Amino acid sequence: MISVEHVTKRYGATLAVDDVSFRVERGEVVAFLGPNGAGKSTLLRMLSTWLAADAGVITVAGHDAQREPLGVRRSLGYLPEHNALYETMRVDRFLAFVGRMHGLAGERLAQRTRWVVEACQLEGVLGKKIQHCSKGFRQRVGVAAALIHDPPVVLLDEPTHGLDPLQVALFLEFVRALGKEHAVLFSTHVLSEAVAVADRLLVINRGRILLDSPVAAMHERARAGGRTLEAELLELVRAAQQPAGVGA
Amino acid sequence: MSAAHSERLSPRAFWSGVHLVAARELGAAFDSGIATIATIALTLLASSIFMNEFFLTGTVDMTPFFDLLPLLLAFFLPALSMRLWAEEKKSRTIELLFTLPIRPLQAVLGKYLAALALYGLFLACTLPIPVMLCALGAPDLGAIASGYLGLVAFGALFLAFGGLLSALARDQIVAFVTSTLVGFAFVLSGEERAVSVLDGLFPALSLGSFLREHLSVLVPYGEFVRGVVRLSAGAYFVLLSGFFLWATALVLERDRA
Repeated sequence: MISVEHVTKRYGATLAVDDVSFRVERGEVVAFLGPNGAGKSTLLRMLSTWLAADAGVITVAGHDAQREPLGVRRSLGYLPEHNALYETMRVDRFLAFVGRMHGLAGERLAQRTRWVVEACQLEGVLGKKIQHCSKGFRQRVGVAAALIHDPPVVLLDEPTHGLDPLQVALFLEFVRALGKEHAVLFSTHVLSEAVAVADRLLVINRGRILLDSPVAAMHERARAGGRTLEAELLELVRAAQQPAGVGA
Repeated sequence: MSAAHSERLSPRAFWSGVHLVAARELGAAFDSGIATIATIALTLLASSIFMNEFFLTGTVDMTPFFDLLPLLLAFFLPALSMRLWAEEKKSRTIELLFTLPIRPLQAVLGKYLAALALYGLFLACTLPIPVMLCALGAPDLGAIASGYLGLVAFGALFLAFGGLLSALARDQIVAFVTSTLVGFAFVLSGEERAVSVLDGLFPALSLGSFLREHLSVLVPYGEFVRGVVRLSAGAYFVLLSGFFLWATALVLERDRA
């Protein structure tokens, strides 16, 4: 569903993403884990076609991101990091706008709207302007908009940011269920969230993939080393941050 | 082969995207009250300018109205266009918009048509003036229709380059100031006094005359006001507006690289 091959992205002199490759298949939830500035959002933005890669090939649901951006966008639901929404629009009108942009109309639009409203529990705010919704509801509106066209691929950039602990728990459960039929890639810097939901972890630091491993295998490795999973990952990031030659 | 097919948009799909963006944009303008306030303010101002002239001259003629309006519009139209892209960038909704299945040109046209519709609403609010003139006498209806056509063309051009400057700016105020300056350059380069000053400064180049002939909006607009609808004047507005719209789409595409 998602294929990233040797992708590189620079911002001026800064190398934001450095020769990254990975795949995500349907029915898989993959967590992108890494510290702030590691390159998670840049990668998701390239997957969403908002940014163009300087080198490498990105394919989403069989569409090349460079040559077929519209095909990619039709195949994915994307919740950006800042989840910027049209503030003055009512929630129901915003969802209808996004649905229509994806080519939904009539009964299909009504049916998908009912589904996302129920799934994201938006019944209480449908007639409200987005600017009058709480942070938690705004986040849910963003998720509903990302899912309204029933995309096979879902990208969520820091989706639990700003949610309270109960909302986080419910949301993670929702992502888990979503992963049964979709390819889900979500970024976070909270390890417990990644471990709770993901089948696989992609650890990224300074634009490079440090680890691409199933969560179960990570647990196994940590247990074998007599360490917690947190300690194992911390060690991995620390080792990657060591300048060459130090500790040799 | 299939890749190329999947990216091809049918005219219906293309215009459907344009229509959706335009409808959202219009709704946002009325929701925020900007459209209502701007239209009422400009209608009152334009009508009072006309009435003042009308009572002074006592003629059933709209030419003074059409002559005065460009200066007023050089302020009003940048106020309409400044928010088109600068606001999307500032609020980061541009990322939402351009991760929907839409081409930059569709979004550019949608926003442009919405701004043009708001401007059309203002023009419609001035229609009681020709109605009043018809009640009082027998004005030249052909000249009035041609004058309004000139105003539409004038607004179409100003909104097109205003949209481009909004796409280049990160801030609405910067977009407003630059659009106003460029707008005044388009208008003032056709003013006799400005032409004389520039010709005097650069006598060898005849810069003022050159700019009036090749740049100023007042020359082709003036033809409409005089009731003359010529292909060259129409081409001036259509080609320049088209160029600015195309350039806006290019700028937005470049921003994502």
